[in-house]
Amino acid sequence: MHLVSIETPMRDLGKGKKANVGDRIFNRTITGAAFTSLIILAGITVFLGAKAVPVLQEQGLSFLTETMWDPLGVPPEFGIAGMLYGSLLLAVIALVISVPVSLFLAVFMVFMAPPRVSKILTNLVDLMAAIPSVIIGLWAFYVLVPPAQEWQQLLNQYLGWIPLFQNESGNFTGTPFIGGVVLAIMMVPIVTSITAEVLKRTPPELVNAAESLGCSMFTMLRYVALPFGRGGIVGGVMLGLGRALGETIAVFFVLKLVFDINFYQIIESGGGSVATLIVSKFGETNGEYEVNVLLASGFFLFLMTLVVNAIANLIVARTDRLKS
Amino acid sequence: MTMLMSESPPVLEKDLEPTRPWSKRPASFWWAAFLGSVVPLAILGALYLTTDLAVALLLIAFYLPMQLIGAGLAGYFAKGKHGIADSAIIVFAIGATALSAIILGSMLLTIIVRGIAAFRPSFIIQNSTYISPSTPLEYGGIGHAILGTFLIVGIATIISVPFGIATAVYVTEVRGRAVPYVRFFVQAMSGVPSVVAGLFVLTVFILTGVLNTSAMAAAIAYAILMLPTIARTAEEVLRLVPEELRTGALALGSTRARVVLNVVVPAARTGIITAILLGIARVVGETAPLLLTALKNDQTVLNPFTDPISALPTFIFDNVAQPYPDAVTRAWGAALALLIIVGVLFTITRFISARKPRR
Repeated sequence: MHLVSIETPMRDLGKGKKANVGDRIFNRTITGAAFTSLIILAGITVFLGAKAVPVLQEQGLSFLTETMWDPLGVPPEFGIAGMLYGSLLLAVIALVISVPVSLFLAVFMVFMAPPRVSKILTNLVDLMAAIPSVIIGLWAFYVLVPPAQEWQQLLNQYLGWIPLFQNESGNFTGTPFIGGVVLAIMMVPIVTSITAEVLKRTPPELVNAAESLGCSMFTMLRYVALPFGRGGIVGGVMLGLGRALGETIAVFFVLKLVFDINFYQIIESGGGSVATLIVSKFGETNGEYEVNVLLASGFFLFLMTLVVNAIANLIVARTDRLKS
Repeated sequence: MTMLMSESPPVLEKDLEPTRPWSKRPASFWWAAFLGSVVPLAILGALYLTTDLAVALLLIAFYLPMQLIGAGLAGYFAKGKHGIADSAIIVFAIGATALSAIILGSMLLTIIVRGIAAFRPSFIIQNSTYISPSTPLEYGGIGHAILGTFLIVGIATIISVPFGIATAVYVTEVRGRAVPYVRFFVQAMSGVPSVVAGLFVLTVFILTGVLNTSAMAAAIAYAILMLPTIARTAEEVLRLVPEELRTGALALGSTRARVVLNVVVPAARTGIITAILLGIARVVGETAPLLLTALKNDQTVLNPFTDPISALPTFIFDNVAQPYPDAVTRAWGAALALLIIVGVLFTITRFISARKPRR
């Protein structure tokens, strides 16, 4: 029994002389449409890049290394180092808070909770991921910020000798810490659902074997489940990180933008974020040049998230290949 | 052979499930677990009532360590030395779960409670023409913003669905040489920040004068954000279509294109609807692209090409910034409306995917 014609990949149909005309048209249309994502990515790079080049030529490298925003100066001067660094700082704070929470939540869902509870939790995590960022920002501004100010005062009061928790101004609003917490709340569902997905795929025979050898839960997690899912978990964290870097509105509600670099004082008022800068300055631009500067900032934000996502995908792809 | 099979008792599926006789706990464990969870709670309550320390400090500096010690003791009684690390994991896992549940509950509760204050029939159907931030709540509403959201999301769906499904069909049905690259680009595209999508539309369509700031421009930005979600979800559901359906249709003499259009895609239609709904849920609350491409408008706009237009996210964004309580209440009302839309989409997708696939 020959199934050659069925096993022939559809892509090769266009070449055979017996191929149906309709099939050929269909193949070409689909293939063309499949490259939309490439076209859009290339379009973003080209069009935003074209706006970024003149800005870089005029401002020089100081656009990326200096901290200033002087649209009315002669000549106007711009530098977004504080914003780029601020985006990274927020993402790191969000990472430090959300990764342990997500890991433990996923472990609870996969290995501890009864199936019914686990199902409910999966739905709740997905619901949390579906809540729009503008609603999270609104909630954070009115509900999270007042107690968060209190927590930061406590941190400053008891751990103020650590440089990380210094605060000279006595103002605890609009700090990178609060921004990071809000981003962490948005990252937790993303990282949790990917981690749970990966942990669920731990081969049950390995888990059962570990248990029958007398492994405790800790030992099983440490030596079976986590090594098995490491790649997927790291990939999930990086995807969450990409989301955190690009998040705009939720951060806009809780972070006070300052152009100076706030290096490490995470509970001092004022921080930076490229995405938030774009939205907050767009409504009050002075002329076309400042719009171009914002477009250039967007270009670098795009590059940053693209790199993070590419690394995430490489990690996930590599571990998938090693396993199969 | 047949005799053997008829004699052996039927093997039930539940008999094959592994049992865990070793997970029986001794009584001392339950005592330790009970004391380990009740005593810290009691001390926490006593400290909270007698001292004026902040709740956060009490929880982190007193309750968590006590709970860890209590659970560690319980673990020690149950399993000896190894039980200590186990019980620490359990404490942290339950803590993380409780924390997430509290945050989600607080969000939903706050939005429902504060949003209800604005909800009344006129709030849903009226627009905000002649409404200033200080106008009482009896007047004006979010009708124009709801229509705006529907208009923008509707156009974005019409634009992105064909491309998204075509991408999925390319990966699962055409299986061309570029599949790994197409998947990589879709993955990379899913990481594009929403504000960058807005900036892209701004540069290509608005600054060049092709489009006004309008629903159409915003819809293109939304479509860019929807495409990867639709493509990836549709790809997963097309993969689930059994290979027999394809070979069967081919054996009956269909062309390849007919197989895809008349057999594979219809077989996966509920999954594809889920993919579309997930794409909509992904963008319906996006604010940043709207601020760059649609701006705001207090009047009802139905022409997607001419005028700036408000949608629910931008309505929330504008009203929160106002120093008037009524404007802020309107923002909460709009947030509740947005949450209801997201909730409906979410419930439908769950309902569809929970249904047993027909055989």
